[in-house]
Amino acid sequence: MKVSLNWVKQYTKVNLPVDALVTKIGEQLGAVEEVVEFGKRYEGILIVKVVSSDKHPNADKLHVCLVDDGGKNKQVKRDTKGLIQIVCGAPNVTAGMLAAWIPPGATVPSTIGKDPFVIEAKELRGVVSNGMLASPKELALGDSHGGLLVVDKPAKPGDLFAKAYELDDYIIDIENKMFTHRPDCFGTLGVAREVAGITNQKFASPAWYSQKTRPAEGFGLEMDVKNDLPKLIPRFSAIAMKDITVGPSPLSVQVQLVKAGIRPINNVVDATNYIMLLTAQPVHAYDYDKVKTGILGARLSKKGEELKLLNGKTLKLNDGAVVITDGKKPIGLGGVMGGADTEVDDSTKNIIIECANFDMNLTRKTAMEYGLFTDAVTRFTKGQSPLQTTAVLAELTEKLEKITGGQVASQLVDVKSSSVADNPPVQVSTNFINERLGENLASDKIKLLLENVEFKVAAKGDNLAVTPPFWRTDIEIAEDVVEEVGRLYGYDKLPQILPKRSLIPAGADRLLAFKFQLRDILSGAGANEVLTYSFVNEKLLRSAGQDPAGSYHIKNALSPDLQYYRQSLLPSLLSKVEANSRGGFDEYLIYEIGLVHQQGLVDKDKLPIEFNRLAIVYAANYKNPAAAYYRVKLYVDYLLTERLGIKLRYEPLIGSKFSSEGQSAASAFWPEQSAVIYHQEEPVGIIGLPNSSLKQDLKLPGQTAQVELDLTSLFELAQTKVDYEPLNRFPSTDQDITLRAPAQLSHQELTNFIESQLDKAAMQDGYNFKLKTLDIYQKATDKNHKQTSWRVTLSHPERTLTTDEVNKLLESLALAARDKLKAERV
Amino acid sequence: MTYQDEQVSAIAKKLKSQLDKSEDKRAILRSPELQALYDHLKTLPTGQPRAKFGAEVNALRAELEQLVSQASAPQAKLDPIDITAPFGVNVPPDQRPSLLSADQASRHPLMTEMQQIVDIFERMGFAAIESREIDDDYHMFTSLNFPPDHPARDEYDTFVTDEGLVAPAHTSIMQNRFLKAHKKDLEQGKAIAAVVPGRVFRNEDLDARHEHTFYQLEGIYVDKGINAGHLVATIKTWLSTYFGREVKIKIQPFYFPFTEPSFEFAASCVFCDEAGCNVCSYTGWIELGGCGMIHPNVLKEAGIDAGKYTGFAWGFGIDRLVMLKYDIEDVRHFESGNLKFLRQFK
Repeated sequence: MKVSLNWVKQYTKVNLPVDALVTKIGEQLGAVEEVVEFGKRYEGILIVKVVSSDKHPNADKLHVCLVDDGGKNKQVKRDTKGLIQIVCGAPNVTAGMLAAWIPPGATVPSTIGKDPFVIEAKELRGVVSNGMLASPKELALGDSHGGLLVVDKPAKPGDLFAKAYELDDYIIDIENKMFTHRPDCFGTLGVAREVAGITNQKFASPAWYSQKTRPAEGFGLEMDVKNDLPKLIPRFSAIAMKDITVGPSPLSVQVQLVKAGIRPINNVVDATNYIMLLTAQPVHAYDYDKVKTGILGARLSKKGEELKLLNGKTLKLNDGAVVITDGKKPIGLGGVMGGADTEVDDSTKNIIIECANFDMNLTRKTAMEYGLFTDAVTRFTKGQSPLQTTAVLAELTEKLEKITGGQVASQLVDVKSSSVADNPPVQVSTNFINERLGENLASDKIKLLLENVEFKVAAKGDNLAVTPPFWRTDIEIAEDVVEEVGRLYGYDKLPQILPKRSLIPAGADRLLAFKFQLRDILSGAGANEVLTYSFVNEKLLRSAGQDPAGSYHIKNALSPDLQYYRQSLLPSLLSKVEANSRGGFDEYLIYEIGLVHQQGLVDKDKLPIEFNRLAIVYAANYKNPAAAYYRVKLYVDYLLTERLGIKLRYEPLIGSKFSSEGQSAASAFWPEQSAVIYHQEEPVGIIGLPNSSLKQDLKLPGQTAQVELDLTSLFELAQTKVDYEPLNRFPSTDQDITLRAPAQLSHQELTNFIESQLDKAAMQDGYNFKLKTLDIYQKATDKNHKQTSWRVTLSHPERTLTTDEVNKLLESLALAARDKLKAERV
Repeated sequence: MTYQDEQVSAIAKKLKSQLDKSEDKRAILRSPELQALYDHLKTLPTGQPRAKFGAEVNALRAELEQLVSQASAPQAKLDPIDITAPFGVNVPPDQRPSLLSADQASRHPLMTEMQQIVDIFERMGFAAIESREIDDDYHMFTSLNFPPDHPARDEYDTFVTDEGLVAPAHTSIMQNRFLKAHKKDLEQGKAIAAVVPGRVFRNEDLDARHEHTFYQLEGIYVDKGINAGHLVATIKTWLSTYFGREVKIKIQPFYFPFTEPSFEFAASCVFCDEAGCNVCSYTGWIELGGCGMIHPNVLKEAGIDAGKYTGFAWGFGIDRLVMLKYDIEDVRHFESGNLKFLRQFK
């Protein structure tokens, strides 16, 4: 909302410097986006009198003028009479007129902020021109380039142009978002009232507004309103005027619009915009003769209807938008934009002015549906008061009579639904207010703060009956009054004290703590934590072998790259590999902790289940992909078994059965080179190499391996207790054992077998043991077998073990292995 | 994959067997049989039969595409490995896998800061709960006093799924849930105090200062006699602890449907002691987030007596805070996965 400080000053005293006022507005009204010193654009520009205007000796269309600036400019060259010579090409230059002069050294206002053009004294066809006489366009006051701006105010040569037209102004731009619930602050009057309130001054709205004045009525034109939508348009006021002369607005009105960023059009349209800028009430004028029927109707649109709008576009309407009609066909989109067919133009003689109140929610919906975001939409979507329509019409018609020479020519038609009523008082107590502000304000102080902005307050002891003025549609409950009082009083004055609370500890989110723990372990072990988007594209899903239909699909995605929720973390993590591997990182391990979703899997509240996952990718610019697999497996064993105490089992991916979310994760893997990780019978993750299409599509380096783990189940399994063993004062003994076993027996099977044998012995004789794989060897000539060596570390809590005892134990172990596994001790 | 429609099923079978034999696998996607199915689709009456048939045809096309891309990928043959072993066969000890050097490790700065922030709040007595990444309209808007079609919803630029679910634009989605779950605490004389860190989404074009994905932390506190001064003091205490020095807080009026009154809060610039620097754009203050007294409708919606209890809520973006703290020039680095960026944060 752009507010002219000069305009505000017409309604309230401002006794602060601009900087201080802007700070105060920020603290007590709303964030200020920008302050523009508008007058700067017009520095040096003076009003001059054209004393003579003669034809240029060398050019048909140019004039050589002598102008009088009252001797104000000190730099310019003058003739003996003190006049200044200027060459001018405008057709309307005449001796005796007052014009705006841009002297040498000044900048043409319309070029400021684009490509600033500084005027110099220079020869035009052999005659020196000391600066230029300016058109409205050059002065950034409209589109008219056809002739000089004619000063239409009493002024004398040498007056500052900016001062004469109140261009020496500050435009304070307050964030619209601030005023989402403040319809009144979309008008200068509303902001002026607040400025008074926060500077502790009593504000009085102009009587025509606060008294809800009705316009003077007249006769001559038949006009009626047929509102079919009393709920959506609680009030529809209209009045007709005749004998209008359409032309440009007085310059002072145009200036007011330009300062607010609105383009002047003609005196009728400008006046409706002017009243909107003042009161926040959007108003629309129709050409009475183009409407033909003299009727303004309001109804919902029907699918297929067409409406040509003021912006030149023709809408094909759907059902359900509010349209203004001539009794039959649409002539405007209610609360949004008028129609082209009934536009006020230079030939217009008679008009109907509509001043209505449109439902904020439907206005928003319509604006979104048709992509029309007008000044009217901005205001109606904040919920304007239906009680201001007649007052606005009264002020507007009076203004239009003066400016256009027209007259009110009908009765006021005012169709009002029964819901339109003054605001009821809100009951609140000083105690209620003070409790919520942490303050101790007296009831008189509260009363004064509210009355300054025209609330009515009836105090009875501690109780206050607070009646908001009719333009405040946002004050409904006691808490709304708290806000108003706190704001007007000043939030910076509130005491800042911490709340008192009991010593009962707050509950902790253990899953969150678990995730933090995982980060600590992984980043402590040389890994790099990565975050990637939760959204992926269709191509990536397909590369990962995931069906896009298994993803939640975003219908208003920013780009096709971000339209699907991910089904597993790995594809997005893998998509970060190529750039890093080419970017100078030869070997690294990245991981991400995040959420994934699977279309159709919902919880008891019918919401998609959120699967907590940890994904790890190892990538290296070396050959030998198998090494990558074992690297990732090492991390899994380190993280889950060594650090979190979870025993794991690895089973081939091929032949494994999956839940649907597990299947989505699994399809990113190369089946023959991957495994499912179990704890007992519970799958906790999948490890392996990326599938061939990921490898190809994402240009993954030679060594890439990956794992995706389900954090929810791991979180339940993780041991918080260390498996402590009492310190043993008897030494332990190391003994190595090597078995030559059939190649198809997995390492896990072999190790499990040895472990189970050692377990048995431990149960019987009370040994403690540890087992470590030392070597896995295969002869080039015998692919049917492999040799695996382990180191067994044995101890006993009560005695020193003898070599003989250990040898016997391993002997029996070897015998069992031969028996059960067909493995020979070597 | 099986198809219910006989016609589709028959053509699927035919095309799949063709695919096995053909040289140019992609040609199958342009086959007249598949085209005929699409032509047939157009002749069906709109509504159920057409939708059903269309879904089947689309599914077939998707399956074929997948088969084609599988078939055209070069199938490098890899020797089977023992997936249960700790290292490969015949790999000498010096080439066996080991953990990477801790020197090259890094932690994501957003997560590190989040952990720190959560830690401070936990010490102050707030429970931490994580936010969701997909939620319904009720928790995103309705439970927070945004009526349907309310213009205030526009400020949130929310991503919406085909089903009408939303990608949360604030972690306030957990407010109603937490208030409901803990309203009993109030009756037992215990305050409700929680912070909610999480990932949020806004439909915003990317640039150096704007991300569509970022992290937020919201906090709530409800008890008897809670006021706006408590809110300011809580934020001030947290930020002073976070920066390790006294920070001033100022609040400015703002509008949120779920708080009344609503504020924006700014902290005195810790980088220049309010003297003005490029971090605070020479204002001496850094705007950090929004806050306010929880709207009585929000408390009521969670079944809490708004006449008896009051509370405050606040929220801020973690990304912005981290950018300020480390002078990070581009918000897009966070989700870039770029190790040059990430490895600077040990």
